[in-house]
Amino acid sequence: MHTTTAKASTATGIWLMLVLLTLSTYAVGESHLNGPVIVAVVLGTAFVKGQLVVEWFMGLRRVRPLWRLIMFTYMLLVCALIGLGYAVGLH
Amino acid sequence: MTSAELTLDRRRDDALPGDFAIWIFIFAELAVFGILFLAYAFTRAGNVELFNESQLLLDRRFGAFNTLALITSSYFVVRAVAAIKRNHAASCARWLGAGMGMGALFLVVKSAEFYIKFSEGVGLSTNTFYMFYLSLTFFHYMHVWMGMVILAVVAWKAAHGRYSASAHTGVETGASYWHMVDLVWLFLFPLVYVIR
Repeated sequence: MHTTTAKASTATGIWLMLVLLTLSTYAVGESHLNGPVIVAVVLGTAFVKGQLVVEWFMGLRRVRPLWRLIMFTYMLLVCALIGLGYAVGLH
Repeated sequence: MTSAELTLDRRRDDALPGDFAIWIFIFAELAVFGILFLAYAFTRAGNVELFNESQLLLDRRFGAFNTLALITSSYFVVRAVAAIKRNHAASCARWLGAGMGMGALFLVVKSAEFYIKFSEGVGLSTNTFYMFYLSLTFFHYMHVWMGMVILAVVAWKAAHGRYSASAHTGVETGASYWHMVDLVWLFLFPLVYVIR
């Protein structure tokens, strides 16, 4: 059988994690926290959320490793380079 | 099950979900959005004060609410794919309808946000931050509309019995595109609304 979709309970757990991570990012924004550490945490959170969506919602956790690697590298690069842009702005 | 069938199944399990053509489109879209994100990040590096001051004028509640709307919509679409794999076409159509409902909520909130900004006299030429903010979010907004059309077609076909447990590539194709729209927003939200 072709089963790339998560079980309903697993998918619900992933959704809940995504909601909580989103609320944590919103809380950071509302509390006006900033600085390199905070930005690293926010970007790390975005990366984790992206991985959850790609692996569990898109169902890539069961596909050929190459495709997962492409998506993983893409998100890592996007987050790292946004962080680099932020770091450049500090100087 | 013969060894040939087993091989075929293994191949299908290894492959990307849905039609491969949509994945070429998804990778191209992700590349474009990625370049736009980096253009924002490095342009900001030379205009930090302007970006920070302008960003503070955005209402983060809109951004956070819309993130939750898209995440929830994506979750409903996951349930739609799971339903059709169990051969529950009517349930699949209902979950897709629920996903579209959350997508519509995103569009209403985003349209309201655009309306408020335009009413305040904000436009593309206001400053560099708003040029990026409006371009990035409007580009994404158009993708949400596109995703809604795709989901509507898939939902209609599901409701009319065009998909089954053994033939549901169309559902996975539409779902993959919709998750991509969600994925892009997961980076857009912290980048434009939070990081400062």
